[in-house]
Amino acid sequence: MTHRGGEERIFSVDALARVEGEGGMHVVIRDGHVQDVQLRIYEPPRFFEALLRGRAYTEPPDITARICGICPVAYQMSACNAIEALCGVTVDGPLADLRRLLYCGEWIESHSLHIYLLHAPDFLGYDGAIELAADHRDLVRRGLELKKIGNQLVELIGGRPIHPVNVKVGGFYRVPSERELAQLAPRLEHARQLAIDTVRWVAGFDFPDHVWPGELVSLRSPGEYPITGGRLVSTLGLDIGPEEFEERVVEEHVAHSTALHARLVERGEYLLGPLARFALNAHELSPIAQDVAREVGLSPDERNPFRSIVVRAVEVLYACDEALTIIGRYRQPDRPAVDVPPRAGVGYGWTEAPRGMLWHRYETDADGTITSARIVPPTSQNQAAMERDLFNFVERHMHLGDHELGHRAEQVIRSYDPCISCATHFLDLTVDRA
Amino acid sequence: MTGRVVLIGVGNPYRRDDGVGWVVAEAAARRLGGAVEVRQSDGEPTRLLDAWAGKELAVVIDAMHSGAEPGTIRVLEAADESSAALSRVPLGSHALGILHAETLGRTLDQLPQRLVVVGIEADESGFGEGLSPRVASAVGTAASLVARLVEAPTQEQ
Repeated sequence: MTHRGGEERIFSVDALARVEGEGGMHVVIRDGHVQDVQLRIYEPPRFFEALLRGRAYTEPPDITARICGICPVAYQMSACNAIEALCGVTVDGPLADLRRLLYCGEWIESHSLHIYLLHAPDFLGYDGAIELAADHRDLVRRGLELKKIGNQLVELIGGRPIHPVNVKVGGFYRVPSERELAQLAPRLEHARQLAIDTVRWVAGFDFPDHVWPGELVSLRSPGEYPITGGRLVSTLGLDIGPEEFEERVVEEHVAHSTALHARLVERGEYLLGPLARFALNAHELSPIAQDVAREVGLSPDERNPFRSIVVRAVEVLYACDEALTIIGRYRQPDRPAVDVPPRAGVGYGWTEAPRGMLWHRYETDADGTITSARIVPPTSQNQAAMERDLFNFVERHMHLGDHELGHRAEQVIRSYDPCISCATHFLDLTVDRA
Repeated sequence: MTGRVVLIGVGNPYRRDDGVGWVVAEAAARRLGGAVEVRQSDGEPTRLLDAWAGKELAVVIDAMHSGAEPGTIRVLEAADESSAALSRVPLGSHALGILHAETLGRTLDQLPQRLVVVGIEADESGFGEGLSPRVASAVGTAASLVARLVEAPTQEQ
């Protein structure tokens, strides 16, 4: 919807296409300047925080997995980390490996979906995946094949493809045998090749000239590319543990938007996700992922959000490779989980969801009953960065007509891969196929 | 019948009536003595493709948001000639997902031989567990209807 009146231009896109779930965008331009940018994209999981109060400390992995159909593993893993930290338990060895393997499956699934069905159509001049598939059936099939190996990993280790049920505090209900995992190896080797083809394919797209100039933030875990934990670091020297997060990140009003924004104290907006992970951890990727990234000219200095599609493809390649490494060294543990006795306290945990760091905090009493829970997902943390970037983008492209400007602005948002499927699912739907 | 038919419940049980698809799929499976594959889905199109590709019959059950009376049941068949039946009707909280999946499946030759969508009009869509009374009272009828589709697929339209 576009409204022009006098010196004021307002444009709204009520349903953003090809972002996970649905959302809206609202931009007000007055006297040749952007006055207000609002993204209605994320409703933090307050319902789930309330639901968790009064429940047992063993329940968050199952309950929080329901927050998002795209990244349930991320919710489970951050929940487990937080509860185990609270109870003073460390899960390592093959059980930690299995968690990382499960998480690799989710990265493969989520990134492949975004690359092939949501983001690539923008660069190839298609309205969406269906139009892309009509002309490039084999390409879309390749994407679905790649995604499927991610599903299979999640299904084998997680117990089922959505809302995995096999994860518990301390480990798993059941662990796979070495033979079960080994059966996945040939498919993962094939997927790794598909991922290499994907990196080369997307790196050849024509990218708009655009830069996110702000702070990039991701976990860092020495010796590995960050997935299942670590410290939170940034391009401007941030270095904190999960217990410091609440002191360092505040939600506040900003001039260009009416929404509350997550900001680092005395620093401002920050960006999580693939671009940040790669900028801060590229040296931790496996040799094959580093080689292919180098081959296509991707460097840790990359700051163009549109090129995050290349980083996602490199991360899919890494996830396939890392999964093969884990399967190669896996020895089935004697027990599927370690004991995690309840105790009173506060626990914090975080992991790298496909879209960036996901933070959980739980407080329990002595018998393990949860007295408070707080969950801060990556998309709500990125909202301020996305709005800031959209603000800058619109300022620089004011000369475009409303339709073109709206279209290009949607592409900016899509390059950040915002996940809003955990927000409102119900659409007041009228399908217009004209 | 097992292996040739799949019942796919689409929805989110933490969004009240949005969970009706899962409930009806399970109830229909019980009526069929468990001899049918049941899938729970969040409506993500590529997962729907995986769930129904190669099947003789796929019945997708989803909450509907069309303005009809809560509990109203509609049965839509994806006809062979086009996806017009699905595109005309304001179906479901996840209709965009199902519609996309159906069109994508047609483009990629990944449709079941027969695809039927059963929509149940939702009443309450906020966060929370459990179905609202009028939607809950439609579960039995919807499950019977789904079971009949599976038992006598050639007689139903």
